[in-house]
Amino acid sequence: MAISISESIVVGLTDFWSRKIRSIVTIIGIVLGTMSVIVVLAMVNGINEQTISWMMERGGLSKVTVNRNWQYEGDKNLPDYFTLREIFRIKELLPEAKYFNPQMNDWGRMTNLENSFRTRVQGIVPDYQYIEEWTVDEGRFISQFDIDQNNDVIVIGTKAVEELFPNGKAIGEYVTFNNRRLLVIGIMKHRYLKNNFDVSSENSLDYLNWRCFVPISTMINKISGEDKINNLTLKARSADDAPALVEKLDEILLNMRQGEAIFEIQSAKEEAQEVEKNTATFRVVFFLISIISLLVSGIVIINIMLATIQERTREIGIRIAVGARRFDVFVQFLVQTVIVTFIGGLVGTIAGISILSLVSKYMEFQLIAYPEMVIVALSVAVGVGFFAGIIPAIKAANLDPVQALHYE
Amino acid sequence: MENVIKFENIEKLYDMGKVSVKALRGVSSEIKRGEFVAIIGPSGSGKSTLMHILGCLDTASSGSFWLEDKEISKVKKGKLSQIRNMQIGFVFQTFNLLPHLNVRRNVELPLMYSGISAGKRYKMAEKVLTDVGLADRMNHKPSELSGGQRQRVAIARAIVNNPAIILADEPTGNLDTTSGNDILSIFSELNNAGHTIIIVTHDPAVAERADRTIKIVDGLIV
Repeated sequence: MAISISESIVVGLTDFWSRKIRSIVTIIGIVLGTMSVIVVLAMVNGINEQTISWMMERGGLSKVTVNRNWQYEGDKNLPDYFTLREIFRIKELLPEAKYFNPQMNDWGRMTNLENSFRTRVQGIVPDYQYIEEWTVDEGRFISQFDIDQNNDVIVIGTKAVEELFPNGKAIGEYVTFNNRRLLVIGIMKHRYLKNNFDVSSENSLDYLNWRCFVPISTMINKISGEDKINNLTLKARSADDAPALVEKLDEILLNMRQGEAIFEIQSAKEEAQEVEKNTATFRVVFFLISIISLLVSGIVIINIMLATIQERTREIGIRIAVGARRFDVFVQFLVQTVIVTFIGGLVGTIAGISILSLVSKYMEFQLIAYPEMVIVALSVAVGVGFFAGIIPAIKAANLDPVQALHYE
Repeated sequence: MENVIKFENIEKLYDMGKVSVKALRGVSSEIKRGEFVAIIGPSGSGKSTLMHILGCLDTASSGSFWLEDKEISKVKKGKLSQIRNMQIGFVFQTFNLLPHLNVRRNVELPLMYSGISAGKRYKMAEKVLTDVGLADRMNHKPSELSGGQRQRVAIARAIVNNPAIILADEPTGNLDTTSGNDILSIFSELNNAGHTIIIVTHDPAVAERADRTIKIVDGLIV
């Protein structure tokens, strides 16, 4: 003979409704605490997601980039660029690189009839499109044949099309860049990634749409006239293979420059891990703050429950007199506290998600809520109720029935 | 007739720090099944203490106490709740109903702790409330009832589990004479129906209704 949990829940809910104002006061802390847990988790997720999707857009996690090391302070006058010969040598030594793209940039004015703008033109090889996972929308990309023949061809971005060809027809037309006439053979796909953090530009990939590409051989031999390749991008077979590739590449580059760190290697995977680490810290800090606020509300609940039990001493005496076991009394008050915090958690979760949808609407700020977060928030609320409920419930269960019955 | 209650040499000491107070100084008696007994005595005599021990709300410091052939003084404290639930029905001076529950749910309370299903509880509560003449007040809150009606609810709650004894502590103490007489008539009816009733009172008029009185003065039966 005992009162079942479902019976306790019914008793708890009845108690909750019969003392509405007190119940509402009790849950406010939990509501706010749970709400902040939901909002904070969604914010951190939003930041994380944004960074990761940006990286994915820029070639994924297997991408490795070599640039000049701007922090290098050595005084040996070593070249901070590669020659085409050196590039071929590196490629030979790195058969594990799936794609390999040396790149040479040049700034200048690009014109077509009366239209012109200043831009950066990049000399590249066909692998570029596989490394960046980006290719033409119209026409064709630079081919190996173009490289071999030093062809005067160019592939341009959508912004360049807007600037130079107001009527939209660009393929088959000519542009002039640094006095060299180049045939437009392709238009790159328009790039777009919603920018959630900066209201000044809504497309965080817009800078790519300005880019124009020529064969690297044409760049070296006909446009800049210098054999100075300042950038190299590679792609490992998978993100997991990237660290080994980075290590080997580092060794090769050090050997080429007398052990001096002239170049700097960046791996998307390492950056992603760095981001994950940073957001993990964020998450922990924000989560701790939310937990502290929930603990504070837990203490408030202990207080209110102790007062409630004081007030209900006679009721407890009556229940014991008609046959309630101490355990029944304990369960009754524990369940009641948990019900209060569960309802608080539920209200807080709903409020949190409503705030998220409101904020995302007005702030253009991406906040991502996962079902797991709801479970976490509710579990935390129930956990707070459980721990806050134990002390008052023990106190209630240990009341002396004779004294409790005569309590005024 | 068989004994429903028997107690021998019951003592109760209250430890008040340096001094201990003896509320009961060795009392013995028997109550037979179907009896209507009044325990009387002035306030502070120990009659309430005896009632608490007989009602299994408290335990004696020494002595033996049998209820329905079971030696309660040897029962573990944790098991007393079951005995209170099944064998004893309490009626108090101040009614002791739960104010936020309606009449029916108040009566169902002991049944809930015996683990009886909601549907069955409802029927059993309805029956005893009809017996005490409150079938039409089932869904009222105690605050909507008169004192006499509240005490009738308390009686319904006391008998709903069909206990071995009904223990009433000054059941008419908070009632006017008419309502008090009504309540005493209900006790007489219940007694006629076979219930064993023990009323604790200091009012001789109440004690007159009983078959027998046990008088306590200064912790002793006289």
